[in-house]
Amino acid sequence: MNRFLLFLAAGVLAVQAAPSPSFKRDALPFLEQYCFDCHDAETKKGELALDELTEVTPESFGVWKRVWEQVALKEMPPKKKKNQPDAKERLRLANWIADGLEQAMKEKGGFNTHLLPAKGNYLDHDLLFGELPKNLEPASTPARIWRIHPQEHLVRLNELINKEPEYNPKAPGLRTRGDHISWNNQGEVKVYYGLDRIKGQVGGSAAYAAAITGFSSILNTTGDHGLRSYPILYSVNGAQASQIARHAEDIIRFMAYGPKIEPYQFSGKLPEKYKDVDIRGTVESLFYKEEVMRPLSPVYDLVQAENPSEEKLRAAVDFLFEALTFREPSSKESDVYLKILKDSVADLGLKEGVILGLTPIFLDRDALFRPELAQYGKPGKYGRVMLQGNELALAVNGAFSYLKPDAELKKALKEGRLKTRDDVRREVIRILSDESIRKPRVLQFFHEYFDYDLAGGICKDGKALSKAGGGAKFPNVMFGMTASVDRLVELILQEDKQVLKELLTTDRVILEAGSDSLYFSTRENLKKAPPRDKKDKKKKPTPEELGYVALSKGERINVRIPAVKFTNGRSARTLVRLPKEERRGILTHPSWLVSHSDAMDNHAILRGKWIRERLLGGAVPEVPITVDAQLPDEPKNTLRERMRVTRVAECWRCHRKMDPLGLPFEMYNHLGLRRTTELGKPVDTSGEIIDSGDPSLDGPVKNALEMIDKLAASERVEQVFVRHAFRFWMGRNETLEDAPTLQAAHRAYKENDGSMKALLTSLLTSDAFLYRKVEP
Amino acid sequence: MPDLKGTMINRRKMLQGMAAAAVAAPLFPGLAQAASNKRKPKRVIFFLQNQGFDPYTAIPKGLKEDCSLKSFEFEEPIKALEPLKDRLHIINGLHGRHTSPSHSAFFGALGGYRGGIGSPPRGATIDHVISQHLPETVLPHLCIGMDSLPNMRSRPTLATLSATGPGKPIFMHSNPQALYQALFGSISTGEVRERYEARSNVLRSVERIAQQNSHGLPADEKERYSSYTDGFRDMNGLRGRLANISDHLKKFAPEYGEKFTNPEFETDWHDSLLDLGISALKSGITNTLTIGSGRGEIFGAWKGLGVDKQGHNLGHMPQPNNEIWVKIRHYNCRMLAKLVKELESMPEGDGTMMDNSLIVYTSNNADKQHTSGANWPFILIGNPAGPLKTGQFTQMAKRPINDLYTTLLHAVGAPADRFNMDKNLAENYSSKVGPIEELLA
Repeated sequence: MNRFLLFLAAGVLAVQAAPSPSFKRDALPFLEQYCFDCHDAETKKGELALDELTEVTPESFGVWKRVWEQVALKEMPPKKKKNQPDAKERLRLANWIADGLEQAMKEKGGFNTHLLPAKGNYLDHDLLFGELPKNLEPASTPARIWRIHPQEHLVRLNELINKEPEYNPKAPGLRTRGDHISWNNQGEVKVYYGLDRIKGQVGGSAAYAAAITGFSSILNTTGDHGLRSYPILYSVNGAQASQIARHAEDIIRFMAYGPKIEPYQFSGKLPEKYKDVDIRGTVESLFYKEEVMRPLSPVYDLVQAENPSEEKLRAAVDFLFEALTFREPSSKESDVYLKILKDSVADLGLKEGVILGLTPIFLDRDALFRPELAQYGKPGKYGRVMLQGNELALAVNGAFSYLKPDAELKKALKEGRLKTRDDVRREVIRILSDESIRKPRVLQFFHEYFDYDLAGGICKDGKALSKAGGGAKFPNVMFGMTASVDRLVELILQEDKQVLKELLTTDRVILEAGSDSLYFSTRENLKKAPPRDKKDKKKKPTPEELGYVALSKGERINVRIPAVKFTNGRSARTLVRLPKEERRGILTHPSWLVSHSDAMDNHAILRGKWIRERLLGGAVPEVPITVDAQLPDEPKNTLRERMRVTRVAECWRCHRKMDPLGLPFEMYNHLGLRRTTELGKPVDTSGEIIDSGDPSLDGPVKNALEMIDKLAASERVEQVFVRHAFRFWMGRNETLEDAPTLQAAHRAYKENDGSMKALLTSLLTSDAFLYRKVEP
Repeated sequence: MPDLKGTMINRRKMLQGMAAAAVAAPLFPGLAQAASNKRKPKRVIFFLQNQGFDPYTAIPKGLKEDCSLKSFEFEEPIKALEPLKDRLHIINGLHGRHTSPSHSAFFGALGGYRGGIGSPPRGATIDHVISQHLPETVLPHLCIGMDSLPNMRSRPTLATLSATGPGKPIFMHSNPQALYQALFGSISTGEVRERYEARSNVLRSVERIAQQNSHGLPADEKERYSSYTDGFRDMNGLRGRLANISDHLKKFAPEYGEKFTNPEFETDWHDSLLDLGISALKSGITNTLTIGSGRGEIFGAWKGLGVDKQGHNLGHMPQPNNEIWVKIRHYNCRMLAKLVKELESMPEGDGTMMDNSLIVYTSNNADKQHTSGANWPFILIGNPAGPLKTGQFTQMAKRPINDLYTTLLHAVGAPADRFNMDKNLAENYSSKVGPIEELLA
């Protein structure tokens, strides 16, 4: 999409026809007026002369990219200069450069940095939430195929081989069919074959873990932080395709024949031949129930018949096609896959031919990508077509669920009641108000927005861990905490009142008292375990004896833990309230703090960057390649002291946007324990909000809690949250044309007492969500 | 279109680096150019052990300055390389501070740029660049990765070390069964052969269907989707080209035995992968092999060596005199020695394949797991075109690994001023123009 042209159409320039971009007209005047004073051949400040620049070329890529960042982020001209361009002038140049970079780098690896989620904030917040420009083109999203999320792919495959429990309103929070696949406490996201049929094993839990068979996601997301699921980011490459094919064969085999079980494995007794052999950790070491637990499908029926009829063959094809693509195959598609199956059975016989012959369906485009191509109807004035039929049903469904559309949605589609914006609104409201429809997409948004789910993956240095008070099995505890925060998020979503504010300030936490309370404690209060009573070896020291945080009784609550039973994680946890002067909201929860820490210490820069981007809607330019970004290794100095190196002039220009926002979190150590001292002195938790864009927010804060209170009350922060929700659900960065959508969504949120449901209903019935721009 | 991100768009380079050679190109240029007067490098092997390569495990005691290795005894961990000492070069003191190597520089180790977990490659890596300058083969660059058995099974391909360009990773193969099928499926017989044929038919159908489904996609989407369809085209193309030379391949296929089909330890698969790599080199289907032991990450397992601890804990142990690390390094060196021996067994020109090969041994983690990258030791084995010193220890003063890579380019007859080093940055990192003089004969 050429934003430059859209901008012209927006009436910012009084030009109706869209001329091709021109350096002389679109860039030079800006450079002359605002840049050459300091950056021409004579002045050449910072060894940078811009007067030699002309069109964007691969050779001038580096310079133009810097100019793009500096102008978009208002880094240049320097603040002290009186002569400043306004936001629209900046946007126009930034868009011109980004388009130029895209063109220039087409054959040189490409340039799409401006389209990445992390660059969404490069578009000025006030332009989006200020007075709406006149004559804006109505919003739409380019027609596209959207590679399905790795989690969604796993859930689709899981549906083929495992029966999961349906939603139980009496025990909300437990793992339910359609929920996302959680990390196990080894940090792996895996689907396992038929765990529910296993009744025992030879060996301990480690042996069990080794013996069970499963697979992890084949599709990947990139990057650890921030929004990760834009269509432009992903395709499926050949390596992944061949892996999918390999897994497909295992899955079909399992669907058809079940686990490979020797008769003795039902009895629970090892046969003689294994008497002196160690089979721990092998598939032979597992014992099974007689009862068949897996879902039995037409694939199973097919292999039961000796000479299967064409109907049986076709039934298997059609079943798999719908299970994998979420739509019925056309008769042509059905024929094509049927032929492959028949040929393959002819080549290899029924038993093996079925396996190979059904594999291609797993590789159908629509089993891996969700199409939003809008190849129907006539585009309107702006080249837009509203999504229809199955594409619309799948878009609505995919905004919430990883399962195929439920019966109601399918019925609406079939009966012609899924055509208009009102139809969509009706379905969205219905889905949102039905707890039994699981909505892993919504939870995924909060994972990606907050990044609280990375803690278990942070590798801690052993010494640093024990010095900070960490206990045994640290990563496992952290993986478990992610499940707890998930549940807290869901609770707050269920209440649906001031959702963001509540997430930022709630005094509630869910924890597994035995293992988690340590991390909610205060470092200085921790005591060494008293000597054990020799007579009673099993007696564990009480939390009071260990100096853990005093917890109120709390109420029992369920959380989702992985299906694998080798974890000792329990699904029952406790919901408690913590003193307001100690913690407040998710940002003070160990899972968020640890997610934003490194092996040895807090990561104040990362935390500050998070606040800058996700709450204030600002951005920090990329680290220049000339920077050898390392803090000095000085064990006797605090992090704040070591961060003095970021305060030299050339670093501080960017670091002032992050460090003072991250340092208030120094009231917690890098495992999330509260602390009052650091290296023997009272810990300095001061910070400052600088250049937030909302002057009423700016100013010093004495600690993280004060900062969080300030931010949680800010309307701008709410708007930035809305911007992130927009990005997540539209799968792209916002443009100026999306300003009305964003404003409407924010209004809906605000007028409905901070309701996420209202926000989502607004977004999912917007033009940006419903309309696709098609190529002429 | 895009300029980054690990898993996306890898247009026309899909099948784990099995980029297709032009159909008209000779299949075995290495064999065809038998007796040429001037020796030209024909193949290169990179071997990266994860978790760091501690210099004290490699440098003979008492060695501090540049000198010949002749009169020095090798340290225990690399003893297996002692018979090769007149042909190798131990280099200490290069740095990779700019690659952020703590916990692994990932693509940065062979790219000479900042890497990080999940970061897409910022540019082509040296192994790939060199492969482009070597005589063309069916499979210009093969990457294999060694890890724990469960990891190799559940993630049989992974890309962390090599790349063809910005955002274009090359996948390492870790499942030797799958790699064997891909390389040598066409030479099998009986039931295996039937399956191979049936699979080929199905793959062709899948390619056709995928192709049809790209009709009507918007231009940008078509481009993105093409990485999917190209994957199948390359897969099928490669199958076809390998099938065409199956008679030749027969002579080199490793024995497809228990180690492949029923591994007891991960080392059985490590050995199998190495055997496949050697077969690919000896048969002339590839000229560049990258071996990632530990697959560029911070894990890995060596139960087959009697090491119970998982990879990551190993990184927290100092390596010198650590019996686990001695075992791992022994194992590496046995593999290196095997590579040399196998290449020596193949006549080529007036010598052997080894005479035209260069092996580069190092770590993707500089000297240790938690490192600033201030020291990054290397061992080079072989001296194909003759420009490199051998039998030598060299203590470098601060030059970046990029300069070594520039030197390697020089050694394979593709001189360049710099490798992935912006000239504006060169001074910060003490990088100089051209090859490192101290390493040249």
